[in-house]
Amino acid sequence: MKKHLRIFACYFRLNLASALEYRASFISQAFGMALSNSTFLFFWWIAFQQIGGAIAGYTYKDVLFIWAVASSAYGLSHVLFANAANLTGLIVTGELDAFLLQPCCVLVNVLCARTILSAYGDLFYGFAVMLIFFAGEPAAWLWFLYGALTGGVLITAINLAAHTLSFYWGDASAMGRMALEFTINFSVYPDKIYAPAVRALMYSVIPAGIAVHVPLRLFQAFSPGLALAALGGAAAYCAAAGFFFYRGLRRYESGNVIVTRL
Amino acid sequence: MQAINARNLTKTYRTRVKSEGLGASFRALAKPEYKEVEAVKQVDLSVEQGEILAFIGPNGAGKSTFIKMLCGILHPSGGAVSVLGLSPVNERRKLALRIGTVFGQKSQLWLHLPPLDSFTLLAAIYEIGEAERKRRVDELSELFALGDFLRTPVRKLSLGQRVRCEVAASLLHEPELLFLDEPTIGLDVVVKQAIRELILRRNRERGTTVFLTSHDPADIEHLCQRAVVIDHGALVLDSPVDKLKSDNPGTSMENIIAAIFQQETGRPLEAASDDTPVEEAPV
Repeated sequence: MKKHLRIFACYFRLNLASALEYRASFISQAFGMALSNSTFLFFWWIAFQQIGGAIAGYTYKDVLFIWAVASSAYGLSHVLFANAANLTGLIVTGELDAFLLQPCCVLVNVLCARTILSAYGDLFYGFAVMLIFFAGEPAAWLWFLYGALTGGVLITAINLAAHTLSFYWGDASAMGRMALEFTINFSVYPDKIYAPAVRALMYSVIPAGIAVHVPLRLFQAFSPGLALAALGGAAAYCAAAGFFFYRGLRRYESGNVIVTRL
Repeated sequence: MQAINARNLTKTYRTRVKSEGLGASFRALAKPEYKEVEAVKQVDLSVEQGEILAFIGPNGAGKSTFIKMLCGILHPSGGAVSVLGLSPVNERRKLALRIGTVFGQKSQLWLHLPPLDSFTLLAAIYEIGEAERKRRVDELSELFALGDFLRTPVRKLSLGQRVRCEVAASLLHEPELLFLDEPTIGLDVVVKQAIRELILRRNRERGTTVFLTSHDPADIEHLCQRAVVIDHGALVLDSPVDKLKSDNPGTSMENIIAAIFQQETGRPLEAASDDTPVEEAPV
C-alpha cells in the first residue's frame, strides 16, 4: 500500500511537471475549460429567470451544487487517473507492455500514468462555484467534498469498465466516449427530468446519480443510511470494474507500435 | 543454474480473415471468419545464467512474442516456462523485480521530462530508497557518461543519448537478466559500439544474463556467446557463436547466418518477409 502511494505521488508530480513544460498550453486549457463550464451555468440562470422557482424539483442553487460536484469529480478523475479514458489506445497499440513489465499493481500503474491539462480547470471550477455560492455553508462543503471524491473514483471506474471492453471487442473507444457522455449528461441535469428506466441506469450501470445527485440529497436532508449505501454502491462498482479489467487483461495480445511516454 | 527454461512453449492467436473490398467487409460483419496462427511453435530453449544469447530471425518470426511470454506480458497457449526459477504468468511482479528490458520500439522515459525524473519514478516502482537511488544513478551516469544530459528533457536528446538512458534505466534496479529487443536499432556505428561495450561490461562485472534480439550481425559477433535463430515460430538454429565462426573461416557473421537460414528454411533470410499476422488485437 505504502509503495503504491509513493508511486501515485510520483506520477502526480511527474504529470504536473510534464504539463508545466508547456505553461501557455496548460493555463489556456485549464482556464478555457472553467470558462466553458461558466457558460452552462449562465444558461441555467437565464432558464431559471424565465421559469422561476424550480425545474424538476431542482432550484438554481441545487443546479449550482450538482455542477460543482460534477465538475470537480470529473476534474479529479482526469487529473489523477486520466489513463482510464485512454485505456483502449493502450490496449490496441500494445502500450500496456511497459506497465506489465514493472513490479507493481498494473491498475494503479496504468491509471495514474497520465493527466489531462484541461481537467485542472474542471477540478478548480467546482471549488470556485462553492466559494462563490456556498462560502458560509459547512454542510454544503462536506457533501461537495464527499461527492467530488466518490464521484472522481466512480467516473474513473465507469471509464475503466467501458474501455476494458477493448480486450474483448478490439476497439471500444466509441463505447468509452459514450459512457463518459452519458455520465456527464446524467450529472449536470436534475435527475427527475429522466424517465424511470433511465434513472435506474443512473444508479446502476452508469452510476452518475451516486456521484452527484446523492450528495445533493444528503446536503438537503442528511441520512446516514443513504450515505453508507452510496459509499457501499460506489465501492462495489469500483471492485467490479477492477475485476472486469483483470479478467480482460488475460486476453491482452500486445503489439509492436512505436511508443513514447508523454 | 538456468536463467530461462522453456519447454514446448507455444503461442496461438485467433485472427480475423477478410477478403479485399467493401463487399467483403459487409460479409465479414455478418459472418466473420477466423483462422488460428501459431506465432510460436513448441519451442524448447534453455539459457544459462551469465550467458549472452542472440535471438534472431526475420520480421514476424515470433521473436517479440517469445520474449513477451518470457517477461509475463503474454500468456502462453501451451508448454511451460520458467525464468529465474519463477513463472512469468503467475509471478509477474516478483519476476519484474529481477529482470530489465529495453524494447527499441518502446520508451520507458518520459518524453517531456529529463531522464533523471524518469529514474525517480522507476526508483519508486522498484522500491529503491532515496540514498540508494542516488548512488545507482551516479554509478550509471559514470558508466554510460550521462552526466551532460541527465537534466535535459528526453525530447531534446539525440537517439544515441536516449538509448544510453534507456539502457541505464533498465539497469537501475540491478536486474539479473536483461532482455534487449533491438537496442541498437537506428544508431550510428560509434554509438552501437559504445552500447555493446556497456552491455559486455555489465555482463562481465555483474554476471548479468543478456537475451538479445537484433537484426545487426555485428551485435551477435561482438556480444554473444550463442546464437539462436527462429523462423515462423520454430527454432532453426541453436549454436555457439565461436563454432559458427570456426566452421566458416573468413566468412562474415551476416553471411554465415544467411547461409544457415537458407539451408534450414529453403528461403533467403532477406526474403523471409512478415507473412505471419502475429500480435493482432483480439477479435
